[in-house]
Amino acid sequence: MEAHLPETPYMTTQHAGLEKEIRYVTKPFEVKHIRSLFEGTDPIMHEIAFNLISGDQVEVDRLTREALARGFEANAVLDDGLIAGMAVVGIKFRDNIIFVPEVLIAARAMKAGMAYIEPILSESGVEPVGTVIMGTVKGDLHDIGKNLCIMMLRGAGFVVHDLGVDTKPEEFIDAVLEHGAQVLGMSALLTTTMPNMGRAIEAFEAEGLREEVSIMVGGAPVTQEFAEDMGADGYGKDAIACVDMARALVGVRDGSAPLETAAGAREASS
Amino acid sequence: MSPIHHAGRELDSAAGMTIFDYADSLSVRVPTSCGRSGECHECIVEVRSGMEGLTPPTESERFLRGGYRLACQAAVAEVDADVEFAVLRRQPRILTRSVRRRTAPAPLTERRGSGVYFGEERVDAYRDGIYGLAVDVGTTTVALNVVDLERAEVVHTASFENPQRFGGSDVMHRISYDGGEHSGELRRVMLSAINFEVGEVCRRLGIHRRRIYEAVFVGNSTMRDIVFGVDVQSIGEKPYKSLTEVELEAGERSTTALEVRARDLDLRIFPGANVYSPPLVGCHVGSDVTADLMAVGMNEQDDAVMLVDVGTNTEVVVGNRLRMMAASCPAGPAFEGGAITYGMPGYDGAVEAVGLSEDGAPVRYETIGGAPAEGICGSGLVDLLSELRRTGRMNELGAFNDGAGEFYFAPDRDMYVSRADLSALAQAKSANFCGQWIVLRRYGITPEEVSRLYLAGGFANYVDAGHAVSIGFIANVPEERVAKVGNASLEGATIMLTSGRAREAAEELVRRIEHVELETAPDFFDIFVEGCMFKPMQMPRASTGAAAP
Ligand code: B1M
Repeated sequence: MEAHLPETPYMTTQHAGLEKEIRYVTKPFEVKHIRSLFEGTDPIMHEIAFNLISGDQVEVDRLTREALARGFEANAVLDDGLIAGMAVVGIKFRDNIIFVPEVLIAARAMKAGMAYIEPILSESGVEPVGTVIMGTVKGDLHDIGKNLCIMMLRGAGFVVHDLGVDTKPEEFIDAVLEHGAQVLGMSALLTTTMPNMGRAIEAFEAEGLREEVSIMVGGAPVTQEFAEDMGADGYGKDAIACVDMARALVGVRDGSAPLETAAGAREASS
Repeated sequence: MSPIHHAGRELDSAAGMTIFDYADSLSVRVPTSCGRSGECHECIVEVRSGMEGLTPPTESERFLRGGYRLACQAAVAEVDADVEFAVLRRQPRILTRSVRRRTAPAPLTERRGSGVYFGEERVDAYRDGIYGLAVDVGTTTVALNVVDLERAEVVHTASFENPQRFGGSDVMHRISYDGGEHSGELRRVMLSAINFEVGEVCRRLGIHRRRIYEAVFVGNSTMRDIVFGVDVQSIGEKPYKSLTEVELEAGERSTTALEVRARDLDLRIFPGANVYSPPLVGCHVGSDVTADLMAVGMNEQDDAVMLVDVGTNTEVVVGNRLRMMAASCPAGPAFEGGAITYGMPGYDGAVEAVGLSEDGAPVRYETIGGAPAEGICGSGLVDLLSELRRTGRMNELGAFNDGAGEFYFAPDRDMYVSRADLSALAQAKSANFCGQWIVLRRYGITPEEVSRLYLAGGFANYVDAGHAVSIGFIANVPEERVAKVGNASLEGATIMLTSGRAREAAEELVRRIEHVELETAPDFFDIFVEGCMFKPMQMPRASTGAAAP
């Protein structure tokens, strides 16, 4: 594996393990973005990110507690540790360096850290890339894939409101209105519940709200073709495609190039 | 001119010739019963390549999707196209063997004097024998036993691929298909196929099909209800119940068992024959599991045992005769040939056993029938995963320790498993793991406390139990307590065919089973992640206890 890695132009952190992970990121604008996430942050954040990438939930649990005890803000631990680590995981997943089981243990580690952070999280001052509503459609109880998407979306700077599973069209509508979301993401894992995505889209049309929000869909049985047929604006085949789609959808709306938007927002925040 | 291919043999193609004509020339038997008019829908073939070179689908093929055609309708239009077709396989290796359980027969159909009686009713004059038919309708394969009811003896066993494949490979797809514009088609092809097979078997045995006076059908809720013409849409949606279950709960019927006459089903045996299907366990856990439980004698078990019927949907039952819990685990088809680069079901040519060594010696593998490797089936995959772990080539998460992207299990045939394959296998394995873990925990016991683990169905009969335990595919019950029971569903159906008492016992039994919905486990995610790892199941003692969720 090592042999495939390009020379690193510079080191951002003192953490050899994390540096090695960062070197899996090869696209220039992504390298810039990922390095900006770790630039100048405390070594404990690098520890947290590294252990999250390795899927070590015990260490992430311990380090999160330690960071909070040392007086770091919950938001800082979230953004500079957990989410920064997840951003690397997302890219490795997209580039087929890691697969679902490895993403799942990273997600489990993230969950371990979130257990301490979530209760004390305050409204962060950072301008979000966009607001997304996510939910699994009516009749469907699968949420593992959707939750991965949410983690990655948060990792990319989106504010995400999770409606959980078995979500009725009205609930999607209410949430979009309440949070003024630009994007709605629906997930379905069953052939028999996939049509409920189309029904939800029809409900938006019936309420005259279809123009208010961009709708993306995903989940194992969904294809680009199905997505187009049901009138969705976008489709994501996996969690990382979901993030790219969300970026494209908000990018189109505010007129800037989608990927620059995300990177720009992160830089502005650091 | 391009050739037309079937199973490695080829013929020159000529415009206007149908696939059926080619099959004839190659002496390949394709079932049909309508004189090739497109009516019986039995001659479905899979067109693996060259679809564009065939005539467009006719009106009678409208029900087919994807790469399927009727052999009698599809003709060569473009002689330059390279057409390859495959007949749906009729003899999968799996599913026909099973445990034989000695049960005292108490047949419902009997000879009394010169008459044939079903209970108290005289149904026919006795001629030359009384036979019965037991059928296990699986999503992938159908297996049947013809039983001499006078001697309570199986006289013939047959199996064939479920012809409903064009309606999707899993039950949810079939439900969607059946709810669409071709509603009823799945039932029709299934009955045609069964009628065809029964005809073949009768011919071989030299008996008249009208001498079959009784039948028992078992299957998962969807398969069974399709056969009986019960609307299956409710099984596709929350809360996933058969219409018979909904009616039972509404007090409109007293059991989910079904009983009709053969003529009402278009089943071509004695027209007045009683056709019975035992009660469902609940939701997706169908009457095939009820039959499994009868085959392993659950109604006589005092100690806690566990039954795992491995398949696209694996069923798990834990308990003893007084109290049982059951769950259905949506594993998907990864271990049965689906979604894996070189995956295939257990047919000839499938790699079924794999051995690796630490010292770099070449891979040792065996195929079914000793044929050249065509792919790898479930038991081969379990061996491979276990051996990759044992020899330190792969970590728990399915990543190769040398950083490679794939591992060649049959280098001579250029066949490998990729990391994406391992990821799909991890998820399918995890679904099996979750079902066993959650049901054991709810029941309040650990694997060590399971007095017997019955492994049923599909490839489970051929699996190396030690290897399956080592990767957490099955709970780590001591190997000597693992009993492979083969096609227990067919055996259970046969038991119920030969005994009215067994049917009563089955009714009793299902009332004592509690259906566990896996999604109600609050920590499902954590268990699923644990289950994705290729390592033995480690159930902490503290996590069990009847009170646990
Ligand atoms: C908005 O934009 C986007 C963009 C991308 C999006 C997106 C949204 N959402 C997802 N993505 C994408 O990104 C993710 C990451 O890359 C991906 O998400 P995935 O969800 O695909 O992948 C996840 C990371 C991991 N994968 C998963 O989470 C699914 C794994 C399998 C094993 C599975 C599981 C775990 C479960 N199940 Co279910 N289950 C199966 C699955 C079979 C398999 N081997 O895959 C499947 C999905 N189940 C199935 C079935 C039938 C069922 N399940 C059921 C239940 C369950 C459990 C509760 C046991 C559990 C879910 C628990 C939970 N909290 O989620 C039942 C229904 C329950 C219900 N009401 O929903 C039940 C009906 C079974 C039953 N006997 O009761 C099958 C569906 C078949 C079909 N054709 O419809 C199934 C394919 C297995 C099979 N072949 O039989 C992408 O799809």
